[in-house]
Amino acid sequence: MKKTKPRVCIVIPAYNEDAKIGYVVAGIKKELKKSTYSGEIVVINDGSKDNTALIAKKNGAVVISHILNSGAGGATATGLSYAQQNNFDIAATMDADGQHDPKDVIRGVEELIKREHDLLIGSRLINKQGMSKVKILGNRGLSVITYILFGINSTDSQSGLRIFSRRALEQLQWKTQGYEFCSEMLWRARQIGLKISEYSIKTIYTDYSRAKGQNNWNGINIVKSLLKRRIAELMG
Amino acid sequence: MSRYFLLFLLNLPFVLMGLLSAVTQYKLGRSTKKHAISLISLWVIILVGLSLTEPIYSWLFANNLTVSEPLSLFDVIQITAIVIVFYIANRSIAKVAMLEKRVQDLHQELSIKLSKK
Repeated sequence: MKKTKPRVCIVIPAYNEDAKIGYVVAGIKKELKKSTYSGEIVVINDGSKDNTALIAKKNGAVVISHILNSGAGGATATGLSYAQQNNFDIAATMDADGQHDPKDVIRGVEELIKREHDLLIGSRLINKQGMSKVKILGNRGLSVITYILFGINSTDSQSGLRIFSRRALEQLQWKTQGYEFCSEMLWRARQIGLKISEYSIKTIYTDYSRAKGQNNWNGINIVKSLLKRRIAELMG
Repeated sequence: MSRYFLLFLLNLPFVLMGLLSAVTQYKLGRSTKKHAISLISLWVIILVGLSLTEPIYSWLFANNLTVSEPLSLFDVIQITAIVIVFYIANRSIAKVAMLEKRVQDLHQELSIKLSKK
């Protein structure tokens, strides 16, 4: 990792987020300007049917539009692939619904550099303030399942705020396309020997992010997909 | 010709093709070593099972573990059909996985390239 001014790529996967994407891009752009890092904000428009791409572009983001909706895993993979191809030193992923504080993203980049780790997860469950009990239960449940299936001990395996080193950008790959990629990514990272750690972030829950976020029923689909992936891996 | 020998003879080409396909896919780098080993093991188990059908049946019958009739011609056809379906399913799974990966990569690259225009 370079010692001076690392180039940071902020990846925001988005699907039908025209109500919030402008605010999210503007917020992170402001924080990036205030920081010592140079960088780019990349919105992966995952086949949205609204004005997500247009609004993101107007607010100064580079927009990569998926022709087909691929899911959060596919959109994140495209964003990180863009960061890798364009030689960014660090990449950060954040949600497009405004639940992440842009300050936490920059703090994550600083933490990653300080700790010299490859993958840093912004955990909403170290400080649970603002999170509903149902959300806590759902996220804890998925973290326990991630531990049982893959042996990964994480307080918030489903967090969308993640920071990646150059090494992670070059080596990390996963197969699932939906939200289950969050757990699979941690598993793959451990398989290739990346250094993983967590840091505490705050969650900004609004009516909008509550409505857009994952519900616990979708967690069942995630578990099914993870089980399938685990069995497929056992077979080779 | 004994029905047991006919069963073995009819299934042998599919088992050999299955084994050959597992080895080829691994040698061409299209599957992992673990996957190749599990597929080869499965086909070897099927081959051993088919070649020992008669002694296995005789042993089960002698020990009162089965009361079923000896192998009929219909059984031969049915077992052969199952082996063929297993062979086709394996090939299909491998092809679908490969195509899925190629489509994902293509979609990703295309989206990035188009965004630069």
